Amino acid sequence: AVVSTQSTGKDNCPLYVATDPTEDALKMHFLVHTSIDVIEEKLSSATAANDPRDLYLGQLYPNEDYRIYGYVTNTKIKIVVIETISNPLKDARQVFSQVHSAYISLVCNPFYSPGETITSQPFLQTVTALMRGKAIA
Amino acid sequence: MSRGRGAVDPKRVSSELFSLTYGCMVAQLLKDFENPEEVNKQLETMGYNIGVRLIDDFLAHSPSVTRCSTLEEVAEVLCKQGFKMFLGIVPEVRNWSSAKDEFSLVITENPLAEYVELPPHCQDCLWYSNIICGVIRGALEMVQMDVKCSFVGDTLRGNDSTEIRIKFVKILEDSLPAGED
Repeated sequence: AVVSTQSTGKDNCPLYVATDPTEDALKMHFLVHTSIDVIEEKLSSATAANDPRDLYLGQLYPNEDYRIYGYVTNTKIKIVVIETISNPLKDARQVFSQVHSAYISLVCNPFYSPGETITSQPFLQTVTALMRGKAIA
Repeated sequence: MSRGRGAVDPKRVSSELFSLTYGCMVAQLLKDFENPEEVNKQLETMGYNIGVRLIDDFLAHSPSVTRCSTLEEVAEVLCKQGFKMFLGIVPEVRNWSSAKDEFSLVITENPLAEYVELPPHCQDCLWYSNIICGVIRGALEMVQMDVKCSFVGDTLRGNDSTEIRIKFVKILEDSLPAGED
């Protein structure tokens, strides 16, 4: 089950953090922070060999309790999803593309400036529902 | 809005571009004026300027529209042809007053307000699509009708529906310039 989702902007400041209340939020923050390093490494090492269309980075690094997946958009917005080993996600790509779509809708709002912390209700609701495992139409 | 490749009509613009343009304009107005009431007035004035020009374009492209003798006919033409031609939507006409001089237009899907969420400080005072009121007022003034047009509800503000109230004031008579007989 997904326990945490975070989005960070291109200068790596957090835009949005959501953690399941059953888990230690601070630990999640820490894990996400370290995974940003891994993402940066993947991005800088990715040259022409990397398919530019593949935004999904897959599992970032091994950890005994959790699986950490990363995704980066063309505008360098990084999304990290952490889930417990016990109940793995069947399709992480699906989750990421839905978060990405929610982010796109958010950015189309003329009153939101890219880089601001996300407070928009529809976006928060989408992410919370995704974390609970409900499919979004 | 998906189309076949190469079949884009050069005179048409994507509705997303239109919504984004309008949105950025409202956001910029808010930054410049800071007062949502002032922004409402500015949007209405802009709409008025658009309306006085748009009416000629509308009448030129709708040869089937004849002179309207009642306010009901005006409402019909406004919704079924005017809004349809320019915004691609057909609002509903409702809530006629007993004297038949006031009615409401209810818009179900507002193309201007796609993806928009109002910031909390404007939640109670900004009418986001106020430009539409100005357009209606300007267009009808050019056909010698004086109307008062204002928003009474907006889904962006949490109301049940997006509703514009239009009140007929008077027919404008052509008046001679002062000093002439």
